[in-house]
Amino acid sequence: MESITPQIIFTILGIPISSTIISTWVVMVVIISLALLISKSFPTALDMIGELLTGIISSVMTIKNTDNYLPLLGSLAIFIAVSNSIGIVPILTAPTSDINTPIALSLVVFFSVHFFGIQKKGLVNYFKDFASPIFLLPFEIIGQVSRTLSLSLRLFGNIISGELITAIVFGLIPLIAPLPLIGLSLFIGILQAYVFTALSSLYIDLAIATNK
Amino acid sequence: MSEMSPEHIIVFSTILISGIGIIVGTAIPSIVEGRAVLKALDGIIRQPEAADDIRTTLLISMALLESASIYVLLVILILLFANPLVALLFN
Repeated sequence: MESITPQIIFTILGIPISSTIISTWVVMVVIISLALLISKSFPTALDMIGELLTGIISSVMTIKNTDNYLPLLGSLAIFIAVSNSIGIVPILTAPTSDINTPIALSLVVFFSVHFFGIQKKGLVNYFKDFASPIFLLPFEIIGQVSRTLSLSLRLFGNIISGELITAIVFGLIPLIAPLPLIGLSLFIGILQAYVFTALSSLYIDLAIATNK
Repeated sequence: MSEMSPEHIIVFSTILISGIGIIVGTAIPSIVEGRAVLKALDGIIRQPEAADDIRTTLLISMALLESASIYVLLVILILLFANPLVALLFN
């Protein structure tokens, strides 16, 4: 039966390789080969994708020039969108359905938020703005932990629930019934990629913004 | 009821709590999301040129509200499929 924990398939030199890692390799191959293919045959499509991602980020951030943050946030959006959708391929399971991948992505966001804040404001100013009334410091720390946790759990919960329900319905009626569920999983995968990117850009914006 | 072994109690209470939990945990966010959509539609009717902004805000807010019921589903999935306390009890 389906399990919500990753399954180990084989080992290389004593390192266990789970199905998640194989799916992540496939996602990497898909993204890189699609990027090379599009850049050779239809280069303006890359411009359009870049403008789409910049539009998503700029609609959330309040600063004017968001070019510094486009690489991180755009990569997050593309990787999460493709890896949520790779579950359609029959043998593969989505890498984000293993709890480790969303936790890793939200840890990346957590460290990059503080890094961008310190880079923009300087070390002392950033921590001064962080705990401006000093009695709010415990709530700020709890808020940071809960933000990171909720970011990862939202992504994981959406994808694992889609996969589990699809697997259960496939066990009951294999013929036509899983199709609407697979369509819903695709839509929710793209939506969750958008929400993850928008929330990450909001957190970066909160860390950078200076109250003038 | 007189000879309920620990396995029976665990199975019975898991089924009960999962059923009640999933019903309550999806009903409340659904009601709240419905009210949010009503207010958003009111806003679009009143100002059609702000429809894009309202749609973006509505989409992000619905995904955030939906995550509340996803947390309930996660806990129930862990209870049913990967319960560490049951494994602790029987080892």
